[in-house]
Amino acid sequence: MAIQFERVGYQYTGIDERGYMALSDVSLKIDKTGEFITLIGETGSGKTTLAKHMNALFLPSEGRMSIFGLKLSKDTKKNKKVKLNPIRQKVGLVFQFPEYQLFEETVLKDIIFGPKNFGVKHEAAVRKAEEIIEVVGLDKSYLERSPFNLSGGEKKRVSIAGILAMEPDILVFDEPTSGLDPLGRRALLKVFYDIHERLDKTVIIITHDMDTVYEYAKRVLVMREGVLVYDGAPEQLFSRKNIENWNLETPEILKIVKGLEEKLSITLKDTPRSREKLLEALKEVA
Amino acid sequence: MFTIFEELITMNPMIEIKDVSFAYTQAKNVLQNINLEIKKGEWITILGHNGSGKSTLSKLLIGLLKAKTGTITVDGTELNENTVYDIRKKIGIVFQNPDNQFVGVTVRDDIAFGLENLQVEREEMIERIDTYAKRVGMFDFLNKEPQQLSGGQKQRVAIAGILAMNTDVIIFDEATAMLDPKGRRNIIGYMRELNKEGVTIITITHDMKEALESDRIVVLKDGEILKVDKSENILKDKHTLEQSNLELLLPIELMHYLEEEKIDNPMLKEFLWQSSLKE
Repeated sequence: MAIQFERVGYQYTGIDERGYMALSDVSLKIDKTGEFITLIGETGSGKTTLAKHMNALFLPSEGRMSIFGLKLSKDTKKNKKVKLNPIRQKVGLVFQFPEYQLFEETVLKDIIFGPKNFGVKHEAAVRKAEEIIEVVGLDKSYLERSPFNLSGGEKKRVSIAGILAMEPDILVFDEPTSGLDPLGRRALLKVFYDIHERLDKTVIIITHDMDTVYEYAKRVLVMREGVLVYDGAPEQLFSRKNIENWNLETPEILKIVKGLEEKLSITLKDTPRSREKLLEALKEVA
Repeated sequence: MFTIFEELITMNPMIEIKDVSFAYTQAKNVLQNINLEIKKGEWITILGHNGSGKSTLSKLLIGLLKAKTGTITVDGTELNENTVYDIRKKIGIVFQNPDNQFVGVTVRDDIAFGLENLQVEREEMIERIDTYAKRVGMFDFLNKEPQQLSGGQKQRVAIAGILAMNTDVIIFDEATAMLDPKGRRNIIGYMRELNKEGVTIITITHDMKEALESDRIVVLKDGEILKVDKSENILKDKHTLEQSNLELLLPIELMHYLEEEKIDNPMLKEFLWQSSLKE
C-alpha cells in the first residue's frame, strides 16, 4: 500500500477561535499503481486538506499515516531525522492554477527545474523533458518557447510536465480543469488518462465535474464536512438516493440514461459513461 | 410626442461597444473590431475558447484596460480617463478566483471596501452590509477572516460587495468556474433574481447551462465576434460552438446525432428536447 490513512484528523487553528477539524477520522488506502480516483465533495469539505496529507505537506493532528513506508503522525514534526523530501518526489501534487507558478524563460527550463533540484544531471533532465512534453500532448518545439506566451490550457500542460519530470508514482491534481474551455478540458482529461494507462501511475483528481467522475473514475472518494462519507465505485455512488445531501449532482449522461428508462422505458445496453458510448448505444435502440 | 421621447430613452443601450480593438503588445490584436450593443436589463452571455478575448473584453468595459481604437459608451457616457470612476459606479465585476479579490481583513471589511470608495455614510453602509450579507447567506460570517471561508463562500462575499454598490450592470467573469454544483446553482440563482430586478447581467462562461439562462449569446473566436444571436439559437448551433472549442448541451448533441443518422423517432426527440430546457 503506497498511502495509508488510519483514523486521521487535522485541526486548523484560527486566530479568533479554537480552530476546527478540517478532517475527522479518515481511514483509506491508495495503491501505488492502477488507480484512477476522483476526490469530490462540496467546497470546504476537506478535499484539498486531504490531498495535502498525501505528500506530507500537512501532517495529521490525530491518527497515523504511512506514505511509501514512512510513518507519519503529529509527532513527526518534532523528529528532525524524518526526511519528507523523498515523499514529495514520489507523490506529485499539482495545485489549482499551476500555471501561476511558471517562472522560467523557457518551457524546457521550467520542466527541468524540479528534477535538477532533486539532483538529476542536466543532460538527463533535458532528455526526460523531451519525452514528457509529448506525454502532455505538446510537441518538442514548445520546449524553447516562453511559458508566458502560451494559452491557459498549454500552460497547465507545461506545469503538469514539470511534475511528471520528477517521475512521481502517484499524481494528485487539485481541480485541474477549472477555467478551461470544453475542448481544453477534454484534452487534459485525456492526458491524465494516458498518464494512468501508459505510464501505469495512480492518478487522483479533485473535481466538481460529475461528468468527469462518471466517465473516468474507477474509484470515488466523497468528502463531507471533513469526513470521508463514500469510498467506492461511481456506479454505486450515483445510484444512491441521497447524493444531493452530499451536494453532488447526477452526471448529465446518467440523467439521460435514467430519463430514457423512466419516461420511454428504453434501457440502453452496457450503461454508457461517455458521450461517444451514449451516441452508439442510442443508435442501437432508436 | 412624449411617448416617442420615452421610447427613445428606453431604447438607449446600457452599453455600446463600437469598433473596439485591443492589443497587449504591438504584434497582435487580442480583440479585433468588436461591435455590440447591450440593452438595459438584458442578460447576455459571452462564450469563447480560452484566449478568445472574453476576459479582455470585460476588463475594457470597466476601464481596467484601455481600447486601442474604438469607443465604449456606458449609459450614455463615453468611457475615458475622466469618466472611468463614474462608470465603475455603474458596473460591478465578479472575477473567477475568489482568492484574488478578497481585499478585506474580515467579511465585513471586504463588503465595506467598495462602499468606502463610494463614500457612503456610515449608517447606510452598515445597513447595506447587513442586507447584502444576508442575501448571499453570509450574515453569520461577517467577522470571519477569508482563510476560514471556502471558495464558494468567498465568491458569495465578493457578490455581496458588488450588490451593496447597487450597480446597473454586473459582469460575472467565469465567477462560477471554481464552485461546486450547489455553489454554482446559488450564483446562477442570484443572477436570475438580479436580472428580474432590472440589473443588466453579463456572464462570461464555458458552462452551457449558465448560458441557457441568458437572453442573447455572443460567441468570440480569436478576438473577433463569430456570432451574436438569441441564446436558444446559439445553443443549437453546433457549427458555431465547435469553431470556438465549445460543446453542445448533451441532449442537443444527441438530437443532432439522430438527425445526422437520419433516425426519426418523435418520442425520443421530444424527450431530448425537454431534457435540454432550463431546470
